[in-house]
Amino acid sequence: MELRASRIPGVVSLAQGVPSFDTPDPIKRRAIEAIEQGKVAKYSLAPGILELREVIAQKLEEENKFFDFEEEIIVTAGSIEAITATLLALLAPGDEVLIPDPTYTSYQPAIKVAGGIPVFVPLEEENHWAFDIAELEKRITPKTKALLFCNPNNPTGTIFTRNYLHAVAQLAIKHDFYILSDEVYKDFIFDANEKFYSLAELRGIRDRLIYIFSFSKAYAMTGWRIAYLATHQKLAKKILAVHDALVTCAPVVSQYAALAALEMAEEELAKYHAIYKKRRDLICRRLDKLKNIFEYQKPDSAYFVFPRINKEVLKKIALDPPASNREAIRAGGGSWQFAIELLEKAKVATVPGAAFGPSGEDHIRMCFGRSEEDIDLAFDKMEMFFDNLKL
Amino acid sequence: MKSFLKKFIQYYLKVLTKFVLWRHKPFIIAIAGSTGKTTVKEYILKFLREKYGEDEVRGNPRSYNTEIGLPLAILYLESGESSFWKWWKILIQAKIKAIFSGKFPSKLVLELGVEKKGDMEYLLEMVKPNIAIITNIEASFTYPNSSLDIISDEMKTLVERISEKGTVLLNNDDARLRDLAEFSKAKVITYGLEEGSSAKAENLETDIEGQSFKFTFNDQQEDVKIKKYGRHFVYAWIIAKVVKSIL
Repeated sequence: MELRASRIPGVVSLAQGVPSFDTPDPIKRRAIEAIEQGKVAKYSLAPGILELREVIAQKLEEENKFFDFEEEIIVTAGSIEAITATLLALLAPGDEVLIPDPTYTSYQPAIKVAGGIPVFVPLEEENHWAFDIAELEKRITPKTKALLFCNPNNPTGTIFTRNYLHAVAQLAIKHDFYILSDEVYKDFIFDANEKFYSLAELRGIRDRLIYIFSFSKAYAMTGWRIAYLATHQKLAKKILAVHDALVTCAPVVSQYAALAALEMAEEELAKYHAIYKKRRDLICRRLDKLKNIFEYQKPDSAYFVFPRINKEVLKKIALDPPASNREAIRAGGGSWQFAIELLEKAKVATVPGAAFGPSGEDHIRMCFGRSEEDIDLAFDKMEMFFDNLKL
Repeated sequence: MKSFLKKFIQYYLKVLTKFVLWRHKPFIIAIAGSTGKTTVKEYILKFLREKYGEDEVRGNPRSYNTEIGLPLAILYLESGESSFWKWWKILIQAKIKAIFSGKFPSKLVLELGVEKKGDMEYLLEMVKPNIAIITNIEASFTYPNSSLDIISDEMKTLVERISEKGTVLLNNDDARLRDLAEFSKAKVITYGLEEGSSAKAENLETDIEGQSFKFTFNDQQEDVKIKKYGRHFVYAWIIAKVVKSIL
């Protein structure tokens, strides 16, 4: 959708999930220093520079997660490399990997690259997109090798609660599968009834849990391609062999930048949090004005909102397509067509819900990682578009 | 200009730090090495605070351990990072603290960060440690690293500077560190899991609760459980125990 949007002049994008900020200055300065000191030209150890892994372990410890920085932490080229390397290390051809539905679009290709089969587990929309444990258990087969999920979830902004996560952990033990917990949005929690809980805090499953964190979103570093995973040393050893074969090591300059992020960018992180909360409230206010078009659940976290499109509206916009859009309809259902109409007519880019899984159909994802001006402009354009259609 | 300012700040803080240490004469425990310094510092702080109370023992906040970080740690000030005005304020605060502050902890636990030749010499111009601890000498890179020999020389400088009345703790599991013992005029205590360690951990086991081991030092034995993973926590516990027994 971003690519398509880039070809149309005047489009405001709420599609791609990237922060609107530049990387904070202390991070950039540390990277420059590392370059000037000649530290970045050569490979680091495959799991990453020691200083960074040590600081990662210290930060994790502050969050009640305990890992040995020497044996259990691997710095990766973005979280998708961490996920792909893990899946390549763990899966045999035909193994099944459970993923929530809807969830992050790149999980499916990563599973397929590793020879696995993605199996969707529908989330309960009426229950704020929570896991339905019974539905999850129903989909477990002897071929199930892992559950891969994002907490908080993209695109719904759901925080999976401690009770649900413990139930998931029990299933993992009972049916002997691994859990990949991708927690890239954990620093952007806006309204939670309870403290954010990670399965990495649960010692009883540390031999089957792979914790993944990326610097991309928290520190506005998407282009630096830097993340890490933490897991039991036996798993780490297997994953490290794949990581080494894929990339040798994460970009060394980015490793120094990540070190600065953890040591020096706390203020920026807090600032981003406050800004995203403000933007979340803004996008919700604007959605409130479009009640005849969208029905939505206020996201607790991350920077996405995932509204359901009113059935009548969808019928009017998406099921009466002009010929030029037939190709898009073949690719998916009404949400594709709706998103394309918004893009081409209203000049607003969003992501069709079907991209996140079958349960995402009839929804679109809007990102409020973008500036307030962009959010306002996008909604002004959408309002005008819907007004013209007399909706 | 930027470089001149940095040098000025560095010099100014160094003078004040030397003055404040001369004034209060705290007992200094210095921790150096490639990794594990912060963990060791935290364990020592915990153990010594149990014995002497919170106010009597202070460590570097965060990992302030370089030519500017160390004085800030001793003067108990935050970094001004890249802000000229913040630094201006810090320099004034530093002067006031150095001259007028009456309260100062009796024990300082300080990380010494060393990256290149000469770093240790510079830090030791400011602080005269009573106890020196060296955790390890390790590399972050895969290519043959002559810089490890440079770091080893820096550690040797630290070992040599500890007086006869002081103590040096060396990791017996690190061959480079074992070899440094001969350069010490102070008492040397080696620690680790390998044979020959004066303070030794044996029967190390890991389970979901963490790690457990048998600790032996001065003919006394203790069964230890720590709820964390990684050998560096075992080392940190041993070091803190030994330091507590010395003080």
